[in-house]
Amino acid sequence: MSGLTVFLDGKPVTLAELPLKGGGQAAVFPVVGDAGIVVKLYREPPGLDQERRLMRMLTMSPLAARPTDVSQPPELAWPTALARGPQGEFLGYAMRRFGEPRHVQLIGLFTRAQRLKLFPDRADWRFLLGVAWNLAFMTARMHYDNLVIGDFSSSNVVVDANGFVTFLDCDSIAFNDPVSGELFPCLMHTTDYSSPERQAGGPATRATDDFALAVLVYQLLTAGNHPFGGVPHDSASESTVKDNIAASCSYVVRPELVVIPRGTIDPSVLPPELLTLARAAFGPGVHAPAARPPAEAWLRALDKERSLVRVCQNRPLHTYGSHLTSCPWCTRVAVTGHDVFNGPVPVPVPDAPGQQEQTGAAAWAKALKVALLIVVVVILIVIATHAK
Amino acid sequence: MHSEYPPTLPAEYADIEFENNAQRLPLVLCLDTSSSMAGQPIQTLNNALMEWTRELHDDVSLSYSVEVAVVTFGGQGVAAWRGPQLLAPRAPVSPFVPAHTFRPPQLAAAGVTLMTEALELSMHIVAARKAELRASGLQYYRPQICLVTDGLPTDGTGHLTDSWHRLIPVLAEEQRARRFRLYAIGVGGITDMGEQVLQAFAPKFNARLQGFPFRELLQMMSASANAEQKGAGDEVFEKIFSQFKTQRPAWES
Repeated sequence: MSGLTVFLDGKPVTLAELPLKGGGQAAVFPVVGDAGIVVKLYREPPGLDQERRLMRMLTMSPLAARPTDVSQPPELAWPTALARGPQGEFLGYAMRRFGEPRHVQLIGLFTRAQRLKLFPDRADWRFLLGVAWNLAFMTARMHYDNLVIGDFSSSNVVVDANGFVTFLDCDSIAFNDPVSGELFPCLMHTTDYSSPERQAGGPATRATDDFALAVLVYQLLTAGNHPFGGVPHDSASESTVKDNIAASCSYVVRPELVVIPRGTIDPSVLPPELLTLARAAFGPGVHAPAARPPAEAWLRALDKERSLVRVCQNRPLHTYGSHLTSCPWCTRVAVTGHDVFNGPVPVPVPDAPGQQEQTGAAAWAKALKVALLIVVVVILIVIATHAK
Repeated sequence: MHSEYPPTLPAEYADIEFENNAQRLPLVLCLDTSSSMAGQPIQTLNNALMEWTRELHDDVSLSYSVEVAVVTFGGQGVAAWRGPQLLAPRAPVSPFVPAHTFRPPQLAAAGVTLMTEALELSMHIVAARKAELRASGLQYYRPQICLVTDGLPTDGTGHLTDSWHRLIPVLAEEQRARRFRLYAIGVGGITDMGEQVLQAFAPKFNARLQGFPFRELLQMMSASANAEQKGAGDEVFEKIFSQFKTQRPAWES
């Protein structure tokens, strides 16, 4: 079944009936007969400002010197054409499709179940460090090109199997028109990644991007832990990440302030230089934008660690920073029984119920093999009989 | 820390996923399984739950923080489900299951419509879950409760009752204090009177829908959960709901 017809550069295309993804503001539709692009349609008439913004964006090609590697997707899902209705009215825009399963929202790296499902055999700490590097690089590059991401979160950046990242919601990027100087502000933000001044209604700036980047890098390096998680000891009732950000209450800097959930990974898995940056961002940097480490600082510190990553000899997918003398993930397994990077499959140790299950599975596999063999033999006999 | 609601279980056994410190989003489906839902409607509901579960598992964003509990009213009374498992009354087990491990119950329709009691149970498990999460140091977004019915509140003998009146001030206060967001949805052959009850429960988020569009309903719950995760303002929830209510495709406006 198909849905609406829209015009891209005057050329009609038919959209799928159901969107891939719909938010409060817009919905993203596949295009019938073209798996390479998607069309984002605004729910409300987007207005002249938005139309002018997208017209300007079509004339720009940011990060054009990149990518250098053919296996690397573009870092920005930049608009490729305006989408118009039959009367020429502006409805949205087309962009390259960066969809699942090849491109996964960053948040998919923040839970073990999704890591194992979507990045099997590769999402170890080294991989997460590489994604953090790519994210810092992307941010630094955009800032260099005078673009402010504005709405920067774990949901609007996707990552591929090589750890390369692509920013999706380019229509909310804040920039100055290179010709007229007109400012196109970013009107969106995601609370859990918003610095206090942004929560209070302030504009998107490089410093607000740097805050979001710090949170995302920290989440990557701790396999998904938010630096403003935890419930303050003295809090009255409801408490959220947003509240902790506003109150500058991060366990990375002041662990004594909050009840820390028992699954939380200790900040010390971050190599010292990166931990120092995190403490600057989540301590003084919360209320003083100038004190936040810029993207280049993250990039330099991440770069140093990439070649130093250690590999654990005892368990698969256990890699860690060079500042540690033993594997923190093995220590965690020993203390809690929870392996951050490997599924809850029992390690083969003599254990009655586990053994039984294994025997059961093995017997089942064996029976299946025998059954298959019989089927093959029967088919061969049938073929042989017919051949005569 | 003290709460007027005792946790359903001591925090160390409260099935708090040993995963990460993600802010949680408790979601309660409070479903009418009384006799009027028998036949096609309950089958449609079961199918919709199966399909929604698949979508939930595949949604990397929602599976990060959503946890689901099911409450039903029908048969002999009111029941809480932990995924597919029916919980005994006052069982010391939380009915909330992380989205990525949630499996839906297989529901059957029979009996009376203890809607008042079902909403009370829903409020209770939400409050208890909040207490558990807080005690474990886990933050939460505003929980969502979704009431779905095709009838009118009855008592245990199946007679219409005014007991739901006692809920009105409680629900008003809870929603004013933003303790949860209640959606009250009438389906099938719900009467004008039934609709008035839902309007009283959830003045902003009530609807009377043609047929049994459970798929769309559950998708709307997902869309709202997504907006909640993003920190959207009230107007976004109202927009999502009004789009659902008029049953228009997203691009039609």
